[in-house]
Amino acid sequence: MAAATGTIERAAPRARGSGRGALGILFAPVTLLVVLFLAPMVIMGSMSLLRFPPNTASGYTLEHYTDVLTNPLNWKIAWTTIWIGTTAMVIMLAIALPLAYYMVFRAGSWELFLLLSLVLADELAPVVKIYAWQVILGRNGIVNWLIPGPPKSWLLFSPFAVIVTLAATYITYTTIPIYAAMKAIDPSMFESAIDLGAGWWVQSRRILIPLAAPGIFIAMILVYIPMLTDFVTADIVGGTGSYMMGQRVRDLILGSGDWGAGSALNLIMLVLSVAFSLLAYRLARLNRIQT
Amino acid sequence: MTMNGSTSQAPTSAEVASMPSPDARAGEIVVEGVTKRFSEVTAVDDVSITIPGGEFFSMLGPSGCGKTTTLRMIAGFETPDVGRIVLQGTDVTAVPPAKRNVNMVFQAYGLFPHMSVSENIAFGPKIKRLGREETRQRVSEVIATVRLEGFEDRRPGQLSGGQQQRVALARALVNRPAALLLDEPLGALDLKLRKEMQLELKDLQQRTGTTFVYVTHDQEEAMTMSDRIAVMHDGVVEQLASPRELYQRPASAFVAGFIGTSNLIELRVDRREGGLIAMDLGEGQRILAVDPGLGGTDPITITVRPEWIKLASGDVDGRASHVGGTVVDAVYLGSVTQLIVLLHTGERLTVHRLNDEVGAEEPRPGAHVTLHWAAEHSYVVGSSVDRTDPRTTGEPTEETAARTGR
Repeated sequence: MAAATGTIERAAPRARGSGRGALGILFAPVTLLVVLFLAPMVIMGSMSLLRFPPNTASGYTLEHYTDVLTNPLNWKIAWTTIWIGTTAMVIMLAIALPLAYYMVFRAGSWELFLLLSLVLADELAPVVKIYAWQVILGRNGIVNWLIPGPPKSWLLFSPFAVIVTLAATYITYTTIPIYAAMKAIDPSMFESAIDLGAGWWVQSRRILIPLAAPGIFIAMILVYIPMLTDFVTADIVGGTGSYMMGQRVRDLILGSGDWGAGSALNLIMLVLSVAFSLLAYRLARLNRIQT
Repeated sequence: MTMNGSTSQAPTSAEVASMPSPDARAGEIVVEGVTKRFSEVTAVDDVSITIPGGEFFSMLGPSGCGKTTTLRMIAGFETPDVGRIVLQGTDVTAVPPAKRNVNMVFQAYGLFPHMSVSENIAFGPKIKRLGREETRQRVSEVIATVRLEGFEDRRPGQLSGGQQQRVALARALVNRPAALLLDEPLGALDLKLRKEMQLELKDLQQRTGTTFVYVTHDQEEAMTMSDRIAVMHDGVVEQLASPRELYQRPASAFVAGFIGTSNLIELRVDRREGGLIAMDLGEGQRILAVDPGLGGTDPITITVRPEWIKLASGDVDGRASHVGGTVVDAVYLGSVTQLIVLLHTGERLTVHRLNDEVGAEEPRPGAHVTLHWAAEHSYVVGSSVDRTDPRTTGEPTEETAARTGR
């Protein structure tokens, strides 16, 4: 409390008008951010630069970065991660766009039910959900039971299983931002478009998608980044062909105890994620509509 | 801008067969015995309207009267349960909106916020693949028509309400529709702008020669712009006539009440003489009307416009209604003062007294006044709808006639 008062008093001469109140309100979240987010980040940063982490007396080096970046295995894993993540993202968008459209413009009284279903589906424990996919995709699972012929072994412990499971896990976070963006679209725009001769394809491409674009970009930020660092899904339903970056970092640090390489790899991914977010954010803003 | 109507699309052989001469029916819309139900509610009940090409036609009525549903059936957004929509001699009842040569202007405009003014306007021509040069030429032509030069690159969000309205008009007109359908397009504007836009719309309609079908609940708006008006109520056309006719010769009590201010009086037929019917109120007071020749002694509904009622200063003509009453309210409205006069029979009459004399003495509440008006100004509701007018296919049905007698 004393610290809080001190902060306000020091800031007071510079703060104008409501600035004083804003500082007081922001104190708690800023503190949390520093303690829980920035501090671990600094620790990880120093780990990636220490010659023999966590020995702080061992001196600093960029060796871990050059090692990580020149190791072909890491590039292969990066490629696997990107194509699995992107395929899952494309599948999710293919589901989320029509679903959000249906919820906003067609569902009527079912809108709330669908929204709640999406939220509740996300509330389930993730590990339970992922194990459920083992039951669905397994050798004696539901899908193999439905499809005639010999059991398909590529359904489980494969990139396919990881993609399907990731898509199912993150569908809520893809749909809700797109739903919110579409909610702001005036339905009379579609009637105008129909009146001017537009079919469903022109309506989607020239009106629905451009106006829902901010939601699409936000969904991509929200989903892509956690998906690329996810290791639980690949652990449970993945196989040797779906070894992903999240698992790699985890195995480097917890498996081999190689804190230097793990931290360096993690920081590189962080920088890429931030760059990706900024790009998506910029695109979303470009499409922001003034009305 | 020329109206190309039925010549704009290559007609099929069936269409050619049904079109005696291509231009005779340009812009003509026929609504033929159309009924539309939404579950239990009959929104439009056996409506027939013929709108000749180049007319400014309005559908007027309170909300829920079926006017917007009728318009949406002409546009193709709703399909009639019974009846046909015939556009320029071709039955389009089953044709989707995109394939009908009409365009609609929506109350909310439905402008595309992520496109510039010219992109919005070019939307239709691009879908119709008119070609770059043709599209560019049409867009700049129509921008000049609605006076939006200099705003081509703005987004709708950067325009005022009136300018957005004009973009919506231009976006529809650029397709050179046979008819333009307007659904309360001025509803979102403030009063002053609305009045300006009314004149502008009328002017635009005359310059382009396009058929305008206009839906509104504002009787003044309809009166200002329209060649003819269909007054709708409970899904039926109560009366279809020119603004003057609607005001002077309302076909039903509903029309009399909806168009302007009106005094509706239930006239008991006490005696008939000299082609007049009279209701005696005692003390020499009476209300007269021209005998509609229906015979019988059933009460007749008459309507008297407030401005036709005069305050008597001397003797009253023998052919004039003559009643006394007490002023209960006097409201100064500028050009007129509105008096509410309570008769000793308990009826209230609204009287408009023209303020055309500086310093003239005004009756105050409590004052006793004598009112008179010519028998010809007691209009017997529904007595003289011209059933021979070939354009008036929206004549009163049996149902509205029954309503009139109420």
